[in-house]
Amino acid sequence: MSAQNNCGDVLLAVDNINMAFGGVKALEGVSFDIREGEIRAIIGPNGAGKSSMLNVINGFYHPQEGTITYKGETRHRMKPHLVAASGVARTFQNIALFKGMSTLDNIMTGRNTKMGCNVLWQALHFGPARNEEIRHREYVEYIIDFLEIQSIRNTQVGRLPYGMQKRVELGRALAAEPDLLLLDEPMAGMNVEEKEDMCRFALDVNEEFGTTIALIEHDMGVVMDISNRVVVLDYGKKIADGTPDEVRSNQDVIDAYLGVSHD
Amino acid sequence: MSIETIFFFETVVSGLMTGVMYALVALGFVLIFKASGLVNFAQGVMALFAALALYDFISPDGWVYALFGFTFPVWAGIILTIGVMIILAWLIERLMLQHLVKQEPIILFMASIGLAFVLEGVGDILFGSDVKPLDIGIPQGAWDWAFDHGFYVEKLDLYAAAVAAVLVTVLAVFFHSTRIGRALRAVADDHQAALSVGINLRTIWVIVWSVAGVVALVAGIMWGSKSGVQFSLSLIALKALPVLILGGFTSVPGAIIGGLIIGVGETLAAVYVGPYVGGAIENWFAYMLALVFLFFRPQGLFGERIIERV
Repeated sequence: MSAQNNCGDVLLAVDNINMAFGGVKALEGVSFDIREGEIRAIIGPNGAGKSSMLNVINGFYHPQEGTITYKGETRHRMKPHLVAASGVARTFQNIALFKGMSTLDNIMTGRNTKMGCNVLWQALHFGPARNEEIRHREYVEYIIDFLEIQSIRNTQVGRLPYGMQKRVELGRALAAEPDLLLLDEPMAGMNVEEKEDMCRFALDVNEEFGTTIALIEHDMGVVMDISNRVVVLDYGKKIADGTPDEVRSNQDVIDAYLGVSHD
Repeated sequence: MSIETIFFFETVVSGLMTGVMYALVALGFVLIFKASGLVNFAQGVMALFAALALYDFISPDGWVYALFGFTFPVWAGIILTIGVMIILAWLIERLMLQHLVKQEPIILFMASIGLAFVLEGVGDILFGSDVKPLDIGIPQGAWDWAFDHGFYVEKLDLYAAAVAAVLVTVLAVFFHSTRIGRALRAVADDHQAALSVGINLRTIWVIVWSVAGVVALVAGIMWGSKSGVQFSLSLIALKALPVLILGGFTSVPGAIIGGLIIGVGETLAAVYVGPYVGGAIENWFAYMLALVFLFFRPQGLFGERIIERV
C-alpha cells in the first residue's frame, strides 16, 4: 500500500467491512483509510459496492462485520444523524434535495447540526434564536457566493435544471462545515462544462476549507486528475489501492474494467 | 339597513366563526401532513381527548377531584393537559410511527384510523362518554358593541377567531424561518436527505405530534366551550378534510382560508338554498364544494405544486 507524505493523519479508517443484504454480499473484507486533507476516490464497475461503502461510512448501513474508526474513535452502529453531527456531510447519487423548498432553505438545513437554540425560543422566533438565524444566514450567503448560485437563491429547487440541483446539494453539504465530505457521483449526467465547474469546486473546497473529500466517480479522467489516492472495488472486494498512477497500471483494475471472467 | 341585509351579515359572520372552528382542527392535520406525509385521521379524536383530559383536571366532576378531593386552576389544567399531549406524542412515536418508517402513506393512514379508535376507546374508559360542559372562563353571550348596532355576534366566537389568528401567525413563522420548522419541512420531503444533514427523525416526529396535540387542545377547548365536550367532536375531523382540499394539505394559512370558505359556504347554503332542496344541506355542502374544487386545483389554494421530472 502506498503511504503518501503529502497528507495528514488518518481521519477515517474502515477495517474488514463485511456487508450482506440477504444472500447478496455487497462488501467483503474491505479495508482502507482516508487521510486528513486528501481527495480520496472510490472507483469500480457498476455494482462494485461503492455506494454501499459510502452508506456504511455515513451510517445508513450497519455492516455485519468490521470496524469504522473516525477521528481516532471506533464507532459502533452509529445513527446517521449522529454521524452528520460528528462532521460527515454527503451528497447523493440520485439528488436528494428538499424539492419543495428554496435553494436558500435547502442550504440552511445544512446548518442544522451547527444550530442549537431550543424549541421554545424558536417557537417564539425571538431572542437568541433570531440572532442565531441571522448568523447562520451569513455563512449560507458565503456558500452561495462560493458556488456562484446567487441567481437561483429563492428558486424552489424542484424547478432547477439537473446540474444546478447537484450544485445546491453540494452547497447543503458544505454548509455543515464538514470534516469529511462524501460525494456520490458528483459529476454523473453532467455536460463537459458542468463537470469542469464541479471539479473546480471540489478542488477549491479541498484547498480553501481544507476539507477531506471521499468521492465516487465514473469519469476516469476526472478521478485521475483530482484525487490523491484511489481505492478500487470490484464485486464487493478491494482490488487495488494507491496513487492514480499505480492504480492505472494495476492489472487487476484493467481486468475489472475490461471484463475478464471471474473464476 | 334592512332586516334582510342584517340577517345576511349575521349569517356570514356565524359562517366565518364556524369556519374558524373547522380551521383549528384542519391546522392539526396540516402540521402532521407537512412533517410526515401522513393524513392523521385521529386529529379530531385528539381534540376530544385533550378536552376530556382538561375537563378532568379542572372540573369537580372529574376524577382528579374524585381521587384527591381538589381541582386544578384553569391555567394549571391547561399546562398539565399540554403535558399529557406531549406524552401522547411520545407514545405514538414509540409504539406506532417508529415501526412504520418508510411505509406507504396508505399504511400510515390506516394506522392513524386505528389510533383514532384506540384514543376514543381509552377516552371513553378513562373519562366516560356523557356530554361535559367545559367552562374555562371564556366570556359567552352577545358582544355588546355589535348588539347595540343591531347585530348579534357571539363573544366566544370572537375569542376563537383571535386565538386562531395568533396560533396561525406563530405556526407560520415557526415553519418558515426556524431551524426546527425547516427540519420539519425537510423531513416531509426526503427522509434520507434529512438524516444526512443531521436531523433526528424521531425527535422531529415527537415535536410535530406534540404541536399537533397542542393545536388539538385549543380546538377541543373552543368546541367544548361552544357545545360541550362530547364524542361527536371526533366527527369534526371529517369536516376538516374538505377544508384541507380547499386550502391545500401543506399550507397553514390555507387551512384557515379553507375553513372560512367552507364555514361561510355551508352556512349561506343552509339558509338560502336549504329550504329549496329539503334541508340538511350543511351535511354535504362542504364535500360537494371540495369535489368541484378538485377538478380545477387539485393541490388546493395554497398547496405546494409537486413537480415530477420524468
